[in-house]
Amino acid sequence: MILTSAYRRRWRPTRFWLASLLGLAVFLALVVSSIASLAIGPVPLRATIFGLPAVGFVLAATVFFLRALHDHPTVRGRDLTRAGVLLLVGVFLWLLVLDAFTFTHAAGPGVAAACAAACVPTTAVGLLVLRRLDRNEKEPWRLVLVATAWGAIVSTSLAFWGETVWDALFTANLLPGPGADASTAYSAGIFEEVAKGVAVLLLYLVMRDEFDDVVDGIVYGAAVGFGFNFMESVGYMTHLYALFAPEGTGTTNAIGMWYWRQVIGLFFGHAAYTALIGAGIGVARQLPRVGQRVMVIACGFLAAIAAHFAWDAWQAVSLAGIRNTLTLILLAHARYLFMVGPFVAILLLLLAMGLQLEGVALRRHLREEAESGSGAVRPAEVEVLMSPRRRFHVRMSALAGGGVGAYLRESRLQTAQLHLAMERWHRERQELADPMAAEDVLRAQVLALRTAAA
Amino acid sequence: MRSPEDFRPLYWTMLGLGAVALLILALGVLTLLRFAPLGQHTGYHAQVDGVFPYNARSGQVDGPPSTHFRRDQPFAAQVEWDRLPAGMVVSARWYDSLDSEVGSVGPAPAGQLADRRALVPVVTPADLHANLPGSYTLKIVRYSGGQPVELLDSESVVVLHDP
Repeated sequence: MILTSAYRRRWRPTRFWLASLLGLAVFLALVVSSIASLAIGPVPLRATIFGLPAVGFVLAATVFFLRALHDHPTVRGRDLTRAGVLLLVGVFLWLLVLDAFTFTHAAGPGVAAACAAACVPTTAVGLLVLRRLDRNEKEPWRLVLVATAWGAIVSTSLAFWGETVWDALFTANLLPGPGADASTAYSAGIFEEVAKGVAVLLLYLVMRDEFDDVVDGIVYGAAVGFGFNFMESVGYMTHLYALFAPEGTGTTNAIGMWYWRQVIGLFFGHAAYTALIGAGIGVARQLPRVGQRVMVIACGFLAAIAAHFAWDAWQAVSLAGIRNTLTLILLAHARYLFMVGPFVAILLLLLAMGLQLEGVALRRHLREEAESGSGAVRPAEVEVLMSPRRRFHVRMSALAGGGVGAYLRESRLQTAQLHLAMERWHRERQELADPMAAEDVLRAQVLALRTAAA
Repeated sequence: MRSPEDFRPLYWTMLGLGAVALLILALGVLTLLRFAPLGQHTGYHAQVDGVFPYNARSGQVDGPPSTHFRRDQPFAAQVEWDRLPAGMVVSARWYDSLDSEVGSVGPAPAGQLADRRALVPVVTPADLHANLPGSYTLKIVRYSGGQPVELLDSESVVVLHDP
């Protein structure tokens, strides 16, 4: 609703064209990588059978797209949206099939399922912590989960073939040792971070009404990172299991890998790297000049690539020559702290600065809305809306008084009120193409929700 | 009206982060140049005759060359050392799929290795009962000033998972 009211014009801003081009490039890369996976890669041709549901989704998307061509202009957008969503679901399903074969075929489906089941709770904890940190205006679960799924399914597929080609062309021709390690680290840093960053960039370009500032950028970036970390963890765990199972230590090695990647490395790894990209894009969201925006987005990508590179390139050096097991374990933990820790610290600093700016702006606009007498926000509600704890208490009171329905209505009202304040902030900063219509629509929506909640 | 919030600290923090990132990536290039130096190409190529089943007791190859081996089957690479200049210092090392070194000869002059027809066997690590499954890569490198400087050849074989 916000999007349609904010961008009603028949033409679309440049960002939609950029997003289309980016989406097309990603789609073509995925088609090529899919063919390579089946023709020369680790995926057997029988995988195409498991891809049939994906084909069904793509066919349905085609039907809606063709129907949209003959639609009346007023309803064309609806069919195009359906076509886009179905195509995305189809692509995700197909890539999931390829990923399942690529990353887990060595150990078999049972072990792969057990490894995936072990990584689900930790990934969920990561996402919940992220949501907790996003204290002022929480991002919708549907977008956060799409970002996570992109990281797990699309980014891993894109990165896998990029890294394979790089290794064949460069790393395989280098001397073994630190030089080859550096080459591999460049490959991982560049391909994996770009593959993950594209997701955040697309969200920034397409879902502008849900991408407000640096806080949102960090949230979406970390969500993509959690997804990537999930799939990579499952891949590494099954690989180690397959290697060491004949020695009787497969399970121990898989659990060890789970500990490093899903406990110690949950926040000190992919989530942190991609959150740096998200931070850059989030800061760019609120900068006035195109040059500044491009600069901070580039800095975010560079920071993520450098952080990832540093970890991969010099991890072997930091543990070289250590024989004592206890020292080795202590050093391995310290390595996370000292190599990824500084980047996480800067990320937390950016998050704190973003939350502070966002909080001040939202409080000011909620107060102004309350003083305007529109009824969308009442003076007594301002402090409640600014406190996650007090918002929760109000929702729980609604739950106690009117059940789940009342809880959900109260939740929707609070979300809409915060959206309205955010919309006012963006309009004040001239960050919207057509803000007044959107604001009026949101205000009417808040009033309707208030009536429903009452 | 413009909002009173100041975005400069965020902007400058991101630029600072970008500058640090460039520094780290430049250090990476230096690492690459230090350990994989340019301009070291001599044009020599080490020829690997093949990878053969290996009898550890006799220290000789035992059977026809292959690209696939069982986990409990020792194997070794046979290199034509005499194709290289006798004084060229070289070494050959096996790496398993975890990139751990699992067997080597040298560094030594190629002439010396040719005289004793040195094989390059894979050595099963002491804490394992047999070789780990996966891809094994042999890398033959040239040394100069005590440092590896040029990759002369590489060869890969596969150790199969137990049936």
